[in-house]
Amino acid sequence: MTSQRAIALNVLALHALAALLVAAFAAQLILGELPCPLCLLQRIMFALLAIGPILNIRFGPRPSHYALSLLAAVVGATVSTRQVLLHIMPGDPGFGTALFGYHYYTWALIGFIAAIVLLSLVLLFDRQFEKDPAAHSAPSVIAHVAVWLVIGLTAANVASTLLECGFKACADDPVEYELLKR
Amino acid sequence: MEFTALFLAIAITMLVVWYGSRTLALSLFAVVLIACVATFLHHATDALKLSF
Repeated sequence: MTSQRAIALNVLALHALAALLVAAFAAQLILGELPCPLCLLQRIMFALLAIGPILNIRFGPRPSHYALSLLAAVVGATVSTRQVLLHIMPGDPGFGTALFGYHYYTWALIGFIAAIVLLSLVLLFDRQFEKDPAAHSAPSVIAHVAVWLVIGLTAANVASTLLECGFKACADDPVEYELLKR
Repeated sequence: MEFTALFLAIAITMLVVWYGSRTLALSLFAVVLIACVATFLHHATDALKLSF
């Protein structure tokens, strides 16, 4: 796999992460379900996971950039595993509405494990790390769109979380936006 | 409040990655990751309201 192909894969990964953050927002806005503290932390870890691909697009693929995403994915998997275990007892309805039979935190765990596996597979291709100044050109329009989509969604989460939690600790089981209370 | 700060810190880190220096971006990433782990450990030590 050449450096160019690796960058194209990183752009694709950013679009996938953006789609994931959009899906989380859709559940929040369409179903009216506010994210719990652990749900917010899982969104945060998905956003943090996006920093590795952005580094690869800007500076070219390096093993250290993939390592950052791997670290974020491992912490994210730990957080979602904890939430899965909190609701594992038979009869527990879980937190929020299930999507295709699984709750958001279960999908998040599947997503983080998939990210760990995919990152490990991409790291197997050494040719992407070979120094070739001609190969690393300016980012494409699609890459710019992917990066700004992820930055925009992260900024939207800043506003949404501020509305939800206000200037104090977030509620364990939030039902209304703290700053929109009358 | 801590989650708002974490999202804001990540957005700033992304902007630094895109426009700033690599070293600063890596340092910011390390700080945010440590803050995320600390936030998780803080919540993980809360008393659990179990459903059984």
